[in-house]
Amino acid sequence: MTQSERIAPSATVPARRFDAAGILPWAVFALLAAVPLIAPHFGLEYYVGFVRHMLIVAIAATSLNVILGYGGMVALGHAGFVGVGAYAAVALVEAGVGSAWLAWGGALAAGAVFAALTGAVSLRTRGVYFLMITLAFAQMLYYLAVSLRTYGGDDGYGLYTPLSLGWLDGVHGDVFYWVVLALAALVFALASRLAVSRFGHALMGIRDNETRMAALGYPVYRIKLAAFTGAGALAGLAGGLLASHNAFVSPSLMHWTESATLLVMVVLGGRGRRWGAPLGVAIWYTLAEVLKINTEYWHWPLGLMLLLVVFLAPRGVAALFERRRGEG
Amino acid sequence: MDAIFIFEQLLNGLGYGLMLFLLAAGLTLVFGIMDTMNLAHGSLYMAGAYIAAKVHEASGSFVGAVAVAIALTVLVAAVVEVLVIRRLYARDHLAQVLATFGLILIADDAVRAIWGPSPILAPTPAALAGPVQLLPELPYPAYRLVLLGAGLAVAVGLYVLVNHTRTGMLVRAGASNRVMAEYMGVRVGRVFSFVFALGAALAALAGALMGPIGAVQIGMGEAILIPALVVIVIGGIGSVRGAFVAALLVGLVDTAGRAFLPPALRAVLPPSLAADLGPALAGIAMYVLMAAVLAFKPAGLFPARA
Amino acid sequence: MSAASLFQARGLVKRFGGLLATDHVDLAVEKGEIHALIGPNGAGKSTLVNLISGLLPLDGGSLSLDGVELTGLAPHQRVRAGLSRCFQVTSVFGHDTVLDNLLLAAQAHAGSSFRFLSRRSAEKELMDTALALAETVDLAGALHRIAGTLPHGAQRKLDVALALAARPRLLLLDEPMAGMGPEDSLQMVALIEKLRAQTAILLIEHDMDAVFQLADRVSVLDYGRVLASGDVDYIKGHPEVQAVYLGTDTET
Repeated sequence: MTQSERIAPSATVPARRFDAAGILPWAVFALLAAVPLIAPHFGLEYYVGFVRHMLIVAIAATSLNVILGYGGMVALGHAGFVGVGAYAAVALVEAGVGSAWLAWGGALAAGAVFAALTGAVSLRTRGVYFLMITLAFAQMLYYLAVSLRTYGGDDGYGLYTPLSLGWLDGVHGDVFYWVVLALAALVFALASRLAVSRFGHALMGIRDNETRMAALGYPVYRIKLAAFTGAGALAGLAGGLLASHNAFVSPSLMHWTESATLLVMVVLGGRGRRWGAPLGVAIWYTLAEVLKINTEYWHWPLGLMLLLVVFLAPRGVAALFERRRGEG
Repeated sequence: MDAIFIFEQLLNGLGYGLMLFLLAAGLTLVFGIMDTMNLAHGSLYMAGAYIAAKVHEASGSFVGAVAVAIALTVLVAAVVEVLVIRRLYARDHLAQVLATFGLILIADDAVRAIWGPSPILAPTPAALAGPVQLLPELPYPAYRLVLLGAGLAVAVGLYVLVNHTRTGMLVRAGASNRVMAEYMGVRVGRVFSFVFALGAALAALAGALMGPIGAVQIGMGEAILIPALVVIVIGGIGSVRGAFVAALLVGLVDTAGRAFLPPALRAVLPPSLAADLGPALAGIAMYVLMAAVLAFKPAGLFPARA
Repeated sequence: MSAASLFQARGLVKRFGGLLATDHVDLAVEKGEIHALIGPNGAGKSTLVNLISGLLPLDGGSLSLDGVELTGLAPHQRVRAGLSRCFQVTSVFGHDTVLDNLLLAAQAHAGSSFRFLSRRSAEKELMDTALALAETVDLAGALHRIAGTLPHGAQRKLDVALALAARPRLLLLDEPMAGMGPEDSLQMVALIEKLRAQTAILLIEHDMDAVFQLADRVSVLDYGRVLASGDVDYIKGHPEVQAVYLGTDTET
């Protein structure tokens, strides 16, 4: 059929077209790699840790964007996964593990297992009940951590000896920074690729019309659970990294306001947008940092910004930059 | 563990439950009628607690302080309703979560600016400071008894208002089927403004009453919000009766869990494990209760919508 | 009802509280047949479609397609077994292009959706399937239009195309002519006539002209029961059917 031959090639083009807007975030990553080399010359060593923290949170936010943005699942318990990862890493250290890779791997696995178990229950509910169930599971973890005296209970638990990065140890004082940067880049690459994969398309279809997807023959529940589990794994990894970064874990990691903040950052950046999560984290953390330097009252401007986003830019900041394309 | 102790804990649980009900009643109606999730409801509770504590301290009159706290909180709530909440009705839950979380941040800073960052002391009214000999072996703080009485009185008042007045009929109509109520000429917008103000008044009352026996500090609203949400989900979103039953259930389960679980576990488990597990299980008891209720009644105990 | 029927529903029951919405319905569709289901508003047609497709759980009865028991299967498993449906209220992905809609439908029936890292746009077979579907429903010229911006008639055709991607052996069409003007209705009738060669069809429809033109067999539903079942002439002449349609509001 000549008509379809004419249409077919152009239909595949948009995904492969060279896209300046798609390259820009990677350029930012390349610049970030230079931070530990440049910052000390200006007396800004503090900001190496600041950016590292932001990158770790961005991993957690990206994982939330997969289920919230692509999957349409409004979960209010994501900090629970982060906490599970952090405590799993600490538990491994307590058990004698000295390798950071093992501890982080354990964090990732723990996040995945916890997400799979709670997702299996939560995903049977809808809407606000889903939101409440995910919140409830995170709260359970919070209280569990508060009462775990082995890991310091309410006061938290300090990691006094830094974990080993294997052969990377001693390469450079800031090697942990580059490891985090590389892991973050990997996670963003995975999430970007997911968006154009079969799984990503199915997940977004479920977000847009779950009933129709079931009627098309999609195993809706299994797809959602897979996404939920994967997101839990990545959030768990972020938790493990956060434990290393802070050399400390405490139940406050899992407080519901932490889950809400993750949600807020993703929506601020642009849920379901490829770069929405890191953009939201960058804006939120940078703004908070600037405000903290200048005033004791740094919460309310952030609150005001949320109201402005809700009423003026409900699709997030990333959407403001995006050129309008046929894909919408 | 004797009968006296158990009785005392039951009373404590009842008191906590009644305070939760005051918070949950407004929350469940706002949710039920306008399908609006208001995370900032806890901030109204905080406002009530702060205003009451400060006015009480300055004037010496507890009743006057509670009245002022309610009046001012309702005023603030009315302004917030007009400026923000009213614009959220038609939005999805995510937008509501975002905007009302923003309100929490603003409210916390406002309190910090007005009353400082440290927790403040809410004095117990002098006349109620001592214990009452409830039973020969059970002295019970007089203030907690007043709390129980006030909570029950408000619950009864609310029951009468919702079930036996014209206003209440409009509220129930809005909660059970908003679209139908609109067709039948109910001005849901006006009903909602009323309900939101009522919810704010009840939240302020709860805050004012809880002040003297809890900590009046920034973040208290965020801490109490979650149990209140658990209550409305267990009770069935939109149902005042459900909120009442669920609030008492949660109050009792939570208090009983904290009081009885650790000693009970110590009896059957090694001491160190029991010491870890007891508080953990007590902390999560209400969430387990919620999960159990939802497993059997997915729309809560008393679904408001048919 | 012969044992060799392609699709068989036996004794279907659905209760909503005290209301018996589906009252022991027996229904069969033969290979190559267009079986129309008619009945006044509130007769329980939509409920029956949802029971058959699995969106509502049955309170009693059983379903089978080509000898495969469907009763305990989830909606998506029934689709895999060969039973596909359209929706009374057009149910397409309104923010996506026609092509993306069709690719999504094609993907459900060609390989696993649990592929996380390879680009879907690189899969040629999916594209071919999608284009073929577009040809079938005459939408090849609108591939890059956003589905939600298409005229109503075109959206209905897209809805049918999405259901066809499953290569069903039984297609449930839930009022495909609803809300259509005469021009669009004619096109839809032609499309359904064309599909007869590919799949058996259970057609729920209010448009009597279309039903009498297309159907090999007609069943009349009233108060959740099958009132009568037979060929077009039998139904036209059936006194009870006439009473039902004269007694209540007659559509169109």
